[in-house]
Amino acid sequence: MKASYKWLKEFVDFNLPPDKLAHTLTMAGLEVEEIEEFEGDTIFDIGITPNRPDCLSIRGIAREISAVLEIPFKDITVKIGAEEGEGPAVEIESPELCPRYSSRIIRGVKPGPSPEWLSKRLESCGIRPASNIVDITNYVLLELGQPMHAFDLDKLTGGRIVVRQAAGVEKFRTLDGEERKLPAEALLIWDAEKPVAIAGVMGGRNTEVSESTLNILLESAYFKPSLVRRTSRALSLSTESSYRFERGVDIEAVTLALDRAAQLIVQTAGGRVTRMTDNYPEPFERGKIRVSFKKISSVIGVDIDGAFVEKTLGNLGFRVEREGEGIAAVPPGYRTDMEMDVDIIEEVARLYGYDRIPSTLPTMQMSSPPEHETQELIKTLKNSMVKSGFSEVINFSFLNPDALEKLNLPPDDKRRDIIHIRNPLRKEESAMRTTLIPALLNNIALNLNRGEKMLRFFEVSRVFLPSGGKLPDEITQFAAVYHKDVTASIWQDKHDGFYDLKGTVENLFLELKIKRYSFERGASPVEPYLHPGKSCSIVIEGRKTGSLGTLHPGVARAFDIKGDVIILEIHDIEKIREAVPARITYVPLPRYPYVERDIAIIVSKDTTVAQAEKIIRGTDTDIIESVKLFDIYTGKPIPEDKKSLAFSIRYRSAVKTLTDSEVDAVHSAIIKSLEAELGAELRS
Amino acid sequence: MTPRPSITLWKWSKKGMLNDIESIKNLAQDDIARAGSLKDINDLKAKYLGRKGLLTRKFSSLGSIPREDRPRVGRILNEAKDFIESLLKKQEDIFRSSELDKSLRTQQIDVTVPGCFIPAGHLHPVTRVLDEISAIFVSLGFTVEEGPEVELDYYNFEALNFPKDHPARDMQDTFFISDDVVLRTHTSSVQVRVMEKNSPPLRVIAPGKVYRCDADVSHIPMFHQLEGFMVDRHIRFSDLKGVLELLIHRVFGRDTSLRFRPSFFPFTEPSAEIDISCVICSGAGCHVCGGTGWIEILGAGMINPRVYEKAGYDPELYTGFAFGLGIERVAMLKYGIDDIRLFPENDKRFLEQF
Repeated sequence: MKASYKWLKEFVDFNLPPDKLAHTLTMAGLEVEEIEEFEGDTIFDIGITPNRPDCLSIRGIAREISAVLEIPFKDITVKIGAEEGEGPAVEIESPELCPRYSSRIIRGVKPGPSPEWLSKRLESCGIRPASNIVDITNYVLLELGQPMHAFDLDKLTGGRIVVRQAAGVEKFRTLDGEERKLPAEALLIWDAEKPVAIAGVMGGRNTEVSESTLNILLESAYFKPSLVRRTSRALSLSTESSYRFERGVDIEAVTLALDRAAQLIVQTAGGRVTRMTDNYPEPFERGKIRVSFKKISSVIGVDIDGAFVEKTLGNLGFRVEREGEGIAAVPPGYRTDMEMDVDIIEEVARLYGYDRIPSTLPTMQMSSPPEHETQELIKTLKNSMVKSGFSEVINFSFLNPDALEKLNLPPDDKRRDIIHIRNPLRKEESAMRTTLIPALLNNIALNLNRGEKMLRFFEVSRVFLPSGGKLPDEITQFAAVYHKDVTASIWQDKHDGFYDLKGTVENLFLELKIKRYSFERGASPVEPYLHPGKSCSIVIEGRKTGSLGTLHPGVARAFDIKGDVIILEIHDIEKIREAVPARITYVPLPRYPYVERDIAIIVSKDTTVAQAEKIIRGTDTDIIESVKLFDIYTGKPIPEDKKSLAFSIRYRSAVKTLTDSEVDAVHSAIIKSLEAELGAELRS
Repeated sequence: MTPRPSITLWKWSKKGMLNDIESIKNLAQDDIARAGSLKDINDLKAKYLGRKGLLTRKFSSLGSIPREDRPRVGRILNEAKDFIESLLKKQEDIFRSSELDKSLRTQQIDVTVPGCFIPAGHLHPVTRVLDEISAIFVSLGFTVEEGPEVELDYYNFEALNFPKDHPARDMQDTFFISDDVVLRTHTSSVQVRVMEKNSPPLRVIAPGKVYRCDADVSHIPMFHQLEGFMVDRHIRFSDLKGVLELLIHRVFGRDTSLRFRPSFFPFTEPSAEIDISCVICSGAGCHVCGGTGWIEILGAGMINPRVYEKAGYDPELYTGFAFGLGIERVAMLKYGIDDIRLFPENDKRFLEQF
């Protein structure tokens, strides 16, 4: 809402320069967002909160200034001269949608340009002047906050007004020339035959005031706010008028505005005014709001004097009666936001000044807080990833549905069951994500594109999967992506990045004390977007919990990524939490020394380390403490279809020092098993 | 104990013997002081303590001393031997360590070669700020609660006293999933969910993602908020001021001033917006604060009784406050970030600064 400094001054004789006035308004809850100069005047752009429609006018803001500064309010005086003839015939079919409709006819007007003072006023408040009659309606809207409309009386069939819902009328051409599709419930103003305005939103082209207009019908009404809002939204048409009606105009000031406009029209465009038709079947009544001084002080936190309360509310236009140690206050009609005691308390606090209220700290009894193990786990997990060199990213929860194609997801994949946003900003953000992977791949692509190397990112965020109920299941997932820098560097390692990320996961599990996990390859690829030969499931305590693998080169291409990306995904952070042991149990330190023996075997190339290790560990003994792979070798002199695996086995007994012959016995049993089960040859 | 009768005899035999020992000691001392290398030390070892060494020979002549004097002279001889050995050892250590030193000096490495390590990663600045603020509230006894991001219209609006078809809803551009399901526009949606499951007293923070249908240079459609609320008997507006002051002072420093302005939120009454003195220009006026010296940072207020009614609390019995804080905004002010769009972009060079 734009408000002119000079115009405000006509209502309150304040003695503050513009910047001080702006500060006063801001600190009273009318935030001055901008101040600009306009031809010797100062214009404030004030953000009026939705609860204060009474301040959507110069008069309303001036009332507020008067109350805050405790300077008398000089209201306008309106005088209609001689009235000539009956007012217009008005029928309201739905009084619940239009509780008040007042009107007058003015005959013999002379449309033309507005006088300069009028044009300037409108311009200063951001409204373009048109011609005198329309300008006056806009002037009154700015001055009193009451939207007005003038019809060309001679274009109103039957010269009468009916307020009625759209009922079957589907199209209507508004003043701006647009043909509008009407919602069925829209409230319309009709003449004897046809609709002539969309109530509270905009008038019709068919009865527009023009240069040749002789007689006008002037409307000032109150329309039900929620209806005006729904209609305005359905039409995607917000006007100065609908903006005020949907917030609520002052129903008691409807006729004041009518008279003010009539008076100004006669002054500037001439004409003779009829009597008023004021259709107001159930005059509005406001109840008392009661509040005790004690409650005011205890909610605000400072002792506030009863006399201050009475005076402040009086200044704000309330009718105040003292009732014992409290008051009963009747708010003025324009304060539609006053409903209960806390509303009164806010008024008192506001005018007392928020800045004068002290700062205290609450006293409260202790209570047992709920335990949030998952929150703690996420913290540990994030810190572990950071230590391993991964940076956290936070991506939008949105998904571009095209990404599902790029990921090669089959038609029956549950991640294709996406939740769409009805009003997305762009297609790229039109659904809620069911997987973290596309966004992480986009992070890789963007950074590669900007010349960055050695990319290690992770994200812990929710995905949204249909639940069958109203709200989706929101599952917290964890995923990481790794794009290894393969350009030469001083400490470069040559191994496949897969093992770096695998190591990161193993280290994470070590930190979380998760012990029973494995990396397993099934018969079919674990994910359609992973390299079928370089990927596996992560299995924790027998449950498939996630996947690890190299991005499928075809998918990498679809995401504009060159080089290998290794991906880690944990499908539900809760599964991890469930595997974290509830407590740590100390195991006594060994009392006897260990014996270490190495073993190198030649096995077929497709034999896995896990297979060999399982056989070693499966030996019937309790002296194998650890089995550690320390070398894999292929090439001469090993035959081409074979490889050599070398393990270091540590033997230790819990009850005695082992002798060579005891270790030898187990060691040769291991060799025998490896030979029998894997066809392994001992490498010499 | 030396037997007394031997004294005279011993005096007699001591002359030559003891004098000899004494002079060998002195001689050794001088020789060792003059030694210039490990080899000299080895030569001196042979000269004095070797098989035919000067002192060794004195040991051999012990047999010629009267039996009763032998222990005494023997002891003196042993003392002399210890003395010379220790001098030799001391000098030998000096030579050895300086020779080791010399050889170590030839084995230099280039200490300016970069170290070998995996550079630590970085937490997203939003996480850093959320963690910092959460820690402050947890230290005050608040618990951390969460709620769904895809939320019922009821919890996001209705229960917070935003009626359908009310202009207050225009304050937040909303993404819709269906007529009654939205992407939550604020973390305030957690309030009634928590109240429904718990009775006062409540001290809760609810951090998380929120969504607004708005994207331009200063808006992103998903960002983070932290909602905080407290409900008990006798919670006052002044308590809200105190708690927020504590928060701002901890996050931005004690020199930061706060300004409470009346405002409007449907779910609080009285409502306030809180400005802090501009952390960039300290209130002098700059482009960040639009020249006003103040930056809007929080929305807050006393919880509206209508919210308690939805939660089934007695509004006559309980009062409380609520506030909401934009995390990206705090991060921008704290770290001097000038473009909110950097947060969801996840450029490595941006992330590495936190």
